[in-house]
Amino acid sequence: MNDLSSHCKAKALIVNNTHIMYFNTKSFTGTLLFLFCFQVHSESKDEIVQRGKELYNGAGSCVACHMEDGKGQKGNIPPLAGSDWLKGGSARSIAISLRGLTGPIKVNGKKYYAAMPPQLLFNDEKLAYILSYVNNAWGNNEGLITKEQVAKARKELPQDVFTPQSLLKRFPFDKKYSKKNGTFTPTFDDTLTEITKPVVYRTFMPGASPAAFAVALPGNHYYCWDAGECRLRYAWTTGGFIKSNQAHWSSNGKPVAEFNGTPYYRAHSSMLGNESFEELSKTNMQKPIYDTSQASDFPIVIDSIREAPSYLGYRLMNGFPIFRYSLGKHTITELIQMNTEKNGIQRTFTLSPPVKLIFKLTPSKSSSIASDCGKITTNGTLSLSKSESSEFSIFISPKEETN
Amino acid sequence: MKFKLPILFALFALSISGKTAPQYSVVNIPPPPTKYKNFQIDGLTFLPNGKLVVCLPSGEIFFRDLTKKSWALFAEGLHNPLGVIAISNSELIVAQRPELTRVRDIDGDGHADDFEVITDNFGMSGNYHEFNFTPVRDEDGNYFFALGTGSRGDGVRTITRGQFNQRGRPGRMHSSAPYRGCIMKLTSAGKTIPWSYGHRTPNGLGFDLKGNLFVTDNQGDWVGSSKLFHVQQDNFYGHAASLAWKPGFENSPLQTPVEKLAKMRTRACVVFPHGTMANSPTKVLAITPQANFGPFTGQLLVGEMNRPRIMRIMLEKVGGELQGACVPFIDGSPLGHGCNRMDWAADGSLFVGQTKHTWAGGEGIQQVSWNGKIPFEIQNMELLEKGFKFTFTKPINRELAQNKENWPFSSYFYEYREAYGSPRSDETKVDISSIKISRDSKIVEVELAELKAWHIHEVKIMNLTSQEGDDLTNNYIVYTLNRLLQNTPPEPLQIKTANSSKKS
Ligand code: HEC
Repeated sequence: MNDLSSHCKAKALIVNNTHIMYFNTKSFTGTLLFLFCFQVHSESKDEIVQRGKELYNGAGSCVACHMEDGKGQKGNIPPLAGSDWLKGGSARSIAISLRGLTGPIKVNGKKYYAAMPPQLLFNDEKLAYILSYVNNAWGNNEGLITKEQVAKARKELPQDVFTPQSLLKRFPFDKKYSKKNGTFTPTFDDTLTEITKPVVYRTFMPGASPAAFAVALPGNHYYCWDAGECRLRYAWTTGGFIKSNQAHWSSNGKPVAEFNGTPYYRAHSSMLGNESFEELSKTNMQKPIYDTSQASDFPIVIDSIREAPSYLGYRLMNGFPIFRYSLGKHTITELIQMNTEKNGIQRTFTLSPPVKLIFKLTPSKSSSIASDCGKITTNGTLSLSKSESSEFSIFISPKEETN
Repeated sequence: MKFKLPILFALFALSISGKTAPQYSVVNIPPPPTKYKNFQIDGLTFLPNGKLVVCLPSGEIFFRDLTKKSWALFAEGLHNPLGVIAISNSELIVAQRPELTRVRDIDGDGHADDFEVITDNFGMSGNYHEFNFTPVRDEDGNYFFALGTGSRGDGVRTITRGQFNQRGRPGRMHSSAPYRGCIMKLTSAGKTIPWSYGHRTPNGLGFDLKGNLFVTDNQGDWVGSSKLFHVQQDNFYGHAASLAWKPGFENSPLQTPVEKLAKMRTRACVVFPHGTMANSPTKVLAITPQANFGPFTGQLLVGEMNRPRIMRIMLEKVGGELQGACVPFIDGSPLGHGCNRMDWAADGSLFVGQTKHTWAGGEGIQQVSWNGKIPFEIQNMELLEKGFKFTFTKPINRELAQNKENWPFSSYFYEYREAYGSPRSDETKVDISSIKISRDSKIVEVELAELKAWHIHEVKIMNLTSQEGDDLTNNYIVYTLNRLLQNTPPEPLQIKTANSSKKS
């Protein structure tokens, strides 16, 4: 049927919005096709959408990026489900599919930076099916698309990949959608994809006190260090560095930074439950989940010291911050770099004066943890003798499946 | 900086379009090469070697060599630095959201490499409005910095720093994390203490030449109109929330009768009438003997966010307390909006950094220079027993000054109330009973039919020219009359509207 219909030079007509009938053109295959089409191809909207769904979900199709549920991939690929970009006629989505789109865009208020290559695997008819599906899947409610529309566009559109500007010049948004959709000027962070030297930001981070650091390491590992509790909160590597901190800095300061990955390491805090980072980003609480004066589980435990650690500052070494904080009469420094295998982080601590201590780590399925002295128990406890404590390293790397 | 005004209040704003005397020029300084492309200036000072220092919202600090006209990046990674003091050519003290930080270049390569906390002994709820404003340092090495309250525009975050205090949480602007709404002192011995209470958005500390500390505040809840306070230890300046942190104050601030709060509060030494003088005053900067800025040494400059304006403040001690007048000074284009931070360059010119953070304001750096010739301005306004004494920078046209109709005085007060802002209350026209002019024609003594203590007295002097025929550049001046020279009546609470005439 695919083969046959791809030869079909027929015209599609939408009849009462549910049926399409194909009429023959003047070609000699017309009669044959007319009969064929009339009998077999008199498809209902449901059938078209069903056919489009199969094509959408096929190998090498849109599904690879926009996903089966049409929701795209957070922070990376925009959603097709509920997308305003599909509204107001189909010319825009045909153009994007045929020529691709590159440049920063906003879809329903969210920002995306990746490029979409032209989708060349599909002929006019298949693309018409796919786009008809996209227009009517996941709660979308737009018209069906004909292969003639696609063919016309394929012939007439300029050959270049569209930029958001060139696309929107041709197919502008209706006013009511234009505020949350369109293009924007990316900031420095938006273009940070390959980290070549450490980036140290202080900004609002989810799951940390308001006195937080976000650090990107060369090799694209990232971590959040909380000066409010003098501890590493979490580390991640997929999904890129934080977003929205430009908005945090330059606006009134409300936005909390976002990141797209899932941390492979997240230090335990007994004050928190299973809150997602999204929940922890909330800024509109009546009262906090907890305040730092209640924080009780500082990971470095020294006998006889009950008081909380106190943050002292940091020094940059080749751009890497070496945090320093005090615990009782002890001064601790912590340097976080990539490990030598470049597949995880190495946390190097010094402690002066040295003292016997216990370091409580947070083992999980998503990371492996090791140290250069002492043994780490299955529950994540590292015991160090006085002499070992003066300088030691802890290695944390993501386990394959989460990476 | 302040939370957006309801439109109603914005409509009250009767703009008096401003002028800058032709003896002052304003030029733009090219912005620093920030990779974040945001040119708001949140901190500004000078190094001992004369280089300009600016802090940006992105957390970058740049130095500018004014002779070579070149920028260099000094530091990165600070959190909304809103003020900076230069200790040496390689060491700064920066107020950033979470701390006061010593930022140093230790290895001498021109880039900061050590960021040492000098204090973080205060709380953060994570509310966006909890700015950490302008550090200043006194001669004994004590630092002062100002902690903004949180805004009702949002709540608190999931993890907050410092002991959460439910008593400070309610209200339009709140203080649920330690000492929000306080001026803080970091003593030279290293102790951090709340120094004064009752501040809302204290965006701008500064000393006068005698070492008195001042801070501005922005109109809003409990602040009928923007103000300048003389900061003294343990005083309460009116915004209720931070009382949650005052030792001995066990009540919930918002459940305390307003009479009681009114009795506790210390008055402003200058009130900036909303809409006509300033809506969001900023940094306080004394005109030092080194400043090359005209015949105003010892007076104060205060910036304003909402319009292109820098005001001049003249204070005097009356009944043991400071009070005085404010007048627009550098006013209107080409000065930009959002004048937030200011300091004196080595050549005595004024550098201004502009910002907005989504509020009314601007961005960029401007230099204001004086050409050494005397502008025609009100040099001083002082209280007399029955009126005011105006000193002008140049001899005035006696005939015009003699005309009572050219002195349309009015008096009014702003109520003390929890609601946002305040209308002008008890606004009355004040008749002139006599005008006396000094022999050198520079001093005019205006006697009023009635002087009301605890009332603001303002005048827009009409038609006045110098003897050379220049128009008076800035003719709108406002005196905050708290105390009279003699027989000041007891301080009224001014918490209720008594026959208020809501003029706009
Ligand atoms: C290789 C990944 C990839 C594939 C395959 C892909 N897209 Fe996209 N698509 C993107 C990206 C990335 C963007 C955003 C482009 C930008 O930011 O400039 C996008 C944007 C869009 C948009 C506009 C924004 C929106 O969310 O509505 C539409 C419509 C769209 N794609 C449709 C399709 C259709 C239909 C297909 C299949 C025929 C498809 N895409 C295949 C990656 C892909």
